[in-house]
Amino acid sequence: MNGPLIVQSDKTLLLEVDHDQAGACRRAIAPFAELERAPEHIHTYRLTPLGLWNARAAGHDAEQVVNALVEFSRYPVPHALLVDVAETMARYGRLTLSKHPVHGLVLTSTDRPVLEEILRSKKVQPLVGVRIDPDTVAVHPSERGQIKQTLLKLGWPAEDLAGYVDGEAHPIELAEDGWALRPYQKQAVEGFWHGGSGVVVLPCGAGKTLVGAGAMAEAKATTLILVTNTVSARQWKHELVKRTSLTEDEIGEYSGTKKEIRPVTIATYQVLTTRRKGVYPHLELFDSRDWGLVIYDEVHLLPAPVFKFTADLQARRRLGLTATLVREDGRESDVFSLIGPKRFDAPWKEIEAQGYIAPADCVEVRVNLTDSERLAYATAEAEEKYRFCATTATKRKVTEALVAKHKGEQTLVIGQYIDQLDELGEHLNAPVIKGETPNSQREKLFDAFRTGELNVLVVSKVANFSIDLPEATVAIQVSGTFGSRQEEAQRLGRVLRPKADGHEARFYSVVARDTIDQDFAAHRQRFLAEQGYAYRIVDADDLLAGDGQQPA
Amino acid sequence: MGTSERDLEAHVPEGNTTDRTTAGVPTEPSGTPPDRPSGPPGTTSPGSTAADTGPRDSTTAGTGTPASTTAGAEAARSTTAGTGVPGSTVPGRSAPPRAPGSGAAPPRTLAEALRTRDDDSLAALLRARPDLLSPVPGDLGLLATRAGTRASVVRALERLDRFTLQAAEALAVAPDPATYDALRALMTGDEGDPETEAALPHAVHVLREQALLWGADDRLRLVRTARELLAPSTAHPSPTGLGPTVAEATAGMSPTRLQAILAAAGLPTTHDPVSAVHGLTSLFTDRSRMDALLNTAPTDALAVLDRLVWGPPYGEVSSDPAPPVRWLRDRGLLLPTSARTVVLPREVALHLRAGRAHRTPEPHPPRLGTASAHSPKMVDLTAAGQAFTALSTVEDLLKDWDRGGPAVLRSGGLSVRDLKRTASAMDLPEPTAAFWLELAYAAGLVASDGESDERYAPTPAYDDWLDLPPQERWSRLAATWLRGTRTAGLVGVQDAKGRALSALGPDLDRSAAPEVRRRVLALLATLPEGTAPDPGTVLARLHWERPQRGTTGDLRTRLALWTLDEAELLGVTGRGALSAHGRALADLDRTPDTGPGTDHAPTQAEAAACALRAATLLAPLIPEPLDHVLLQADLTAVAPGPLQRPLAETLSVLADVESKGGATVYRFTPGSVRRALDSGQAASDLHAFLATHSRTPVPQPLTYLIDDVARRHGHLRVGSASSYVRCDDDAVLGEILADKRSAGFGLRRLAPTVLAARAEPAALVDGLRTMGFAPAAESAAGDVLITRADARRTPARTAPAPVPEGPPVPDETLLGAALHAIRAGDMAANAVRKPAADDPTAAASAGSLPRTSSAETLATVQAAAMTGSALWIGYVNADGAASQRVIAPVRVEGGFVTAYDHTADQVKTYPLHRITGVAELADDPA
Repeated sequence: MNGPLIVQSDKTLLLEVDHDQAGACRRAIAPFAELERAPEHIHTYRLTPLGLWNARAAGHDAEQVVNALVEFSRYPVPHALLVDVAETMARYGRLTLSKHPVHGLVLTSTDRPVLEEILRSKKVQPLVGVRIDPDTVAVHPSERGQIKQTLLKLGWPAEDLAGYVDGEAHPIELAEDGWALRPYQKQAVEGFWHGGSGVVVLPCGAGKTLVGAGAMAEAKATTLILVTNTVSARQWKHELVKRTSLTEDEIGEYSGTKKEIRPVTIATYQVLTTRRKGVYPHLELFDSRDWGLVIYDEVHLLPAPVFKFTADLQARRRLGLTATLVREDGRESDVFSLIGPKRFDAPWKEIEAQGYIAPADCVEVRVNLTDSERLAYATAEAEEKYRFCATTATKRKVTEALVAKHKGEQTLVIGQYIDQLDELGEHLNAPVIKGETPNSQREKLFDAFRTGELNVLVVSKVANFSIDLPEATVAIQVSGTFGSRQEEAQRLGRVLRPKADGHEARFYSVVARDTIDQDFAAHRQRFLAEQGYAYRIVDADDLLAGDGQQPA
Repeated sequence: MGTSERDLEAHVPEGNTTDRTTAGVPTEPSGTPPDRPSGPPGTTSPGSTAADTGPRDSTTAGTGTPASTTAGAEAARSTTAGTGVPGSTVPGRSAPPRAPGSGAAPPRTLAEALRTRDDDSLAALLRARPDLLSPVPGDLGLLATRAGTRASVVRALERLDRFTLQAAEALAVAPDPATYDALRALMTGDEGDPETEAALPHAVHVLREQALLWGADDRLRLVRTARELLAPSTAHPSPTGLGPTVAEATAGMSPTRLQAILAAAGLPTTHDPVSAVHGLTSLFTDRSRMDALLNTAPTDALAVLDRLVWGPPYGEVSSDPAPPVRWLRDRGLLLPTSARTVVLPREVALHLRAGRAHRTPEPHPPRLGTASAHSPKMVDLTAAGQAFTALSTVEDLLKDWDRGGPAVLRSGGLSVRDLKRTASAMDLPEPTAAFWLELAYAAGLVASDGESDERYAPTPAYDDWLDLPPQERWSRLAATWLRGTRTAGLVGVQDAKGRALSALGPDLDRSAAPEVRRRVLALLATLPEGTAPDPGTVLARLHWERPQRGTTGDLRTRLALWTLDEAELLGVTGRGALSAHGRALADLDRTPDTGPGTDHAPTQAEAAACALRAATLLAPLIPEPLDHVLLQADLTAVAPGPLQRPLAETLSVLADVESKGGATVYRFTPGSVRRALDSGQAASDLHAFLATHSRTPVPQPLTYLIDDVARRHGHLRVGSASSYVRCDDDAVLGEILADKRSAGFGLRRLAPTVLAARAEPAALVDGLRTMGFAPAAESAAGDVLITRADARRTPARTAPAPVPEGPPVPDETLLGAALHAIRAGDMAANAVRKPAADDPTAAASAGSLPRTSSAETLATVQAAAMTGSALWIGYVNADGAASQRVIAPVRVEGGFVTAYDHTADQVKTYPLHRITGVAELADDPA
């Protein structure tokens, strides 16, 4: 009874990191508990029904879960919690979706009352067909996704054993010349492939694209890749050409500008969710080929309509890639039921410890507003307040000082407000990438940045997602989308790519003191701290005064 | 009769004395356990558990006291019966009454039977049926009488286990008196059943001991009241499912009908109904002859018998029954009880059942099934963890009510809304919250404050309780629970009047609760350590032990289920198994299971000793309070165990509790830090506090958070002042402050040029003047008020308006308008109209609305429009209000007439259909 784990009655698990059994405990509880916070001393995991069902889907049973809790717990585990765990886990798999040789897709139950209960639900009735025998009911094949979603909401998640179509075969191999999949990437691919469908959770910069490529090499079939935007699409294409046997001609881009459909097609969420006269004209993409694999990049951003289309794609293998299962809109359950359970998950810090992502030094720079700025802030309209304090002139000065301090290092200045960025670009003499910058121009600038021709790049939130800037070592955030934790993770990810010289990455947030900017920053930084990135706070005055001096 | 009674007393005088002694000081706490091998009556097991000697708790005895009037009346009746005359209906009076007092003679009455019993045996009786003792009966005759009263017998029967009850039921359907062999035959049936047979002597012993049965083995007699209660009757079908005997069922049947039955059954006819019944009975009880008879029965008839054989034995028949029923009825295998019902006579049923009174005799209590087994250590630890949680739950609950709890309902108790609120504040389900509240209430930790608007609040006892070490706090709660009668499970249940019972309210006491709780724990204690029972089997066992009780409202079943849940919540059990401290608490660690009959309420001293033992066992399992926390950069502090109370209190002010359990997670927010600053701590105190109690370095963001909040804390200051002094020259203000005479004004310098004062402005001005200054008063807007010292003014007021004698003289305009109005109205009312020639009523109806036909109206209006003359019309407006108007029509078209209305002094349009009638004015209006 001196384990590293404390099981709280509110279903959080506290893991003492410095305990000698912490590693073993982390491995034992990782399959079923979601890591919620990972600050320096005590990590917090949470038991959720989804997490427990994820574990069930991965083949763990309630006894293992209970044993893991009891074995590592420092204090007696509340009995009610153990009972609850067992009951929750027992709910998964009572219902299974499978293929019947005669009746097609059927829903089978090992527990007749459960089947009776769900069949009485008004939401289930339209999705099912005839009752084949007391334990089996036919399901309309088109409603495979719908019924899984509905059953999950009713608390009886169905196990989908109906299998997948192979899709149109297409030879794809990984071209491992001079590089190889990292061990955790291999595990992720294997985990996904054995599970059939599901989500792989890897931190930004940990090579999610390669996991996608690995999965494609396993599937050896035509693949549809859904990404957030065009830049990201190009990146995927670039990476796939480089890392696999695929050639440029085999990969099509389906976006606002191009509508190519090739054996491997990369489409943006935006073009799929474009609506004209109430219909989605690009939906036919899903049926345009017999896809063998569908990859969803940045699952946590998946727009709601895509879920709807995905419900119809249940017979195809689906791979979700994301840095976090947390969705700001709380639709985690749809990810679970429609794309699949979590198949692999490695925490940020662990991969950093393995040297695959760069360690980062996070610094919050507190800027004092001048008296006139404070007065102006105090009297600003409520909706203008954030914009005002986020774009003060003082910030510009501090940013300039920071850029000057890291002269010669690849520096990204990231902000929310275009005029602020334009101004900064002017003062720093650096190009600005924003929404209106044409893609060709963007790529040119990115290339220049990559090769080192450019040291400083000012980017708006268009660069939040999926751009790959391998040599950025310093990121300076001047303003953000209020308190979005999502964005913070993405921006930090910009500098986490491993550096050639092993140099420590720096992540600065410039924050106006005593304003809502500071409150938002606190919210974002709480996320960083929970990810294990302790941050320091530095006064802008100290920074400006101690010119060139490295902060301790 | 009286003589014989006295004779008896004379013969056995010591019996009486013994009786009294026994009544006064019982020496054995409990009845004989059912699983102990039975001895012959009178050799009850010696008082081996004499450790529990003590005055019997009067409440236990009191609960079962029959109402005294009933007892008296019954006594009057049954004393006669009890003193030697068996009921005349009882057959088998063949044995001639023997002289009383001759030692070898079998007892003829219950009283006699009691007299033959020794002290131990009588003590056992009184222990099992304590209600017989209140008040203490005068002699054995009275005791026998009381033992035969209905209330007492019902109570005794309720406390029998299922098998003993089955034996009693079998006796009730057997002839009276019955031999032991007859009883055995009824219990085991023709085939025999060794288990039942083995258990039977004990059951008979229990019945005898409890004075429900008396007489030697060859003449077993159930006490008459018990027999009445248990014997089958139409109103009370027996649990055996047997009907009346042939003799009972044929009573009052016509002899002819009996003859017919005898003939059909193949018996010799006889005119004597008694011998006819006898013949029939002996046929039915003769197995081989019955078999022969039934062999001739049609299959359908056997099917009918099959339906009735295990009861209920009554069947409905039509006036023209089906052939199989008729066949049975003709042979007396079914006997009519009324025109439409028949009954299967007891003898026939017994034959068909192969002699068994019960379908399934249950000689053994059902075994307790095991749900799961854990190591005893694990159980104890889990229970201890839960015990600790219980303590913090109760503390949190009452801390919430520290500043005044919810109001007490007028009918007593807590409103549903308050319970809901409390439950959600504690993040507990409502029944659980109700349980903790009830527990705190029963333990005297919370009570109504008794003010005029009654509210709940913690009691002073709560503060004492808080000072106890945790194990003792727990044992207080657990002991309260174990012996209390408050039943939290009933909260929200509707009572007989349909009102929901409220938590902490009245009507939540159930006297059965402590007994059931103790019994459930005792059953758990019979399992090996660390074994959790299957609740279903616990219920089955309880039901076996008290079959009659179980059926009444099922309260016992619910109580038992609640007990299992509550024991787990309290940490008496851990993972379903009884913990060591739980065992000690219920005094089950030293005393073995004493069986279900023990309504033994331990004395205060015993209970305290048990609680102490439990606390001692629990103490080492409760985690030591910690004096440190771990601070983290995400602005949380984790206490990896319970904290020392002062530390926990400070921390709970400085940070918000985010998660509770074995550990506590605190989160620092600007709000929580501000709260700490508000409570009087300085930022440096907080830094020092964190540095002292943190095992890890204080993270920089936390330091910044505290400093940030502290920097702004108190930045704005709010206070109250009655007046102020301001002066551009701060030297003057300094001088005022320095002057001793200003001390009374409560002056305080807010800024170099402003002093705040507690004194009223006028007093301040006067005071400053006496000090030699020349102050000027200021208005709210900052203007200097020029006032004479003696002038006192009201706030701005309007002067009162003069009240003239009459109305004011009107001016020309008003006059003109008034005149005009008067005239117009006058014209309308008094216009002299040309009477219509054909309308004789028109003249008479001056003042009422004119009435003309619509054609006439139209013609008149058109004419007037042409001539420009005025008309008098009756008009009904859209609201249906009628009025008279004088109009000068201008235009008539489309059903509307546009006219100058003299009454309203304007041009208006009237729909023609709304005009009731018109009349021309006699002369032109001016």
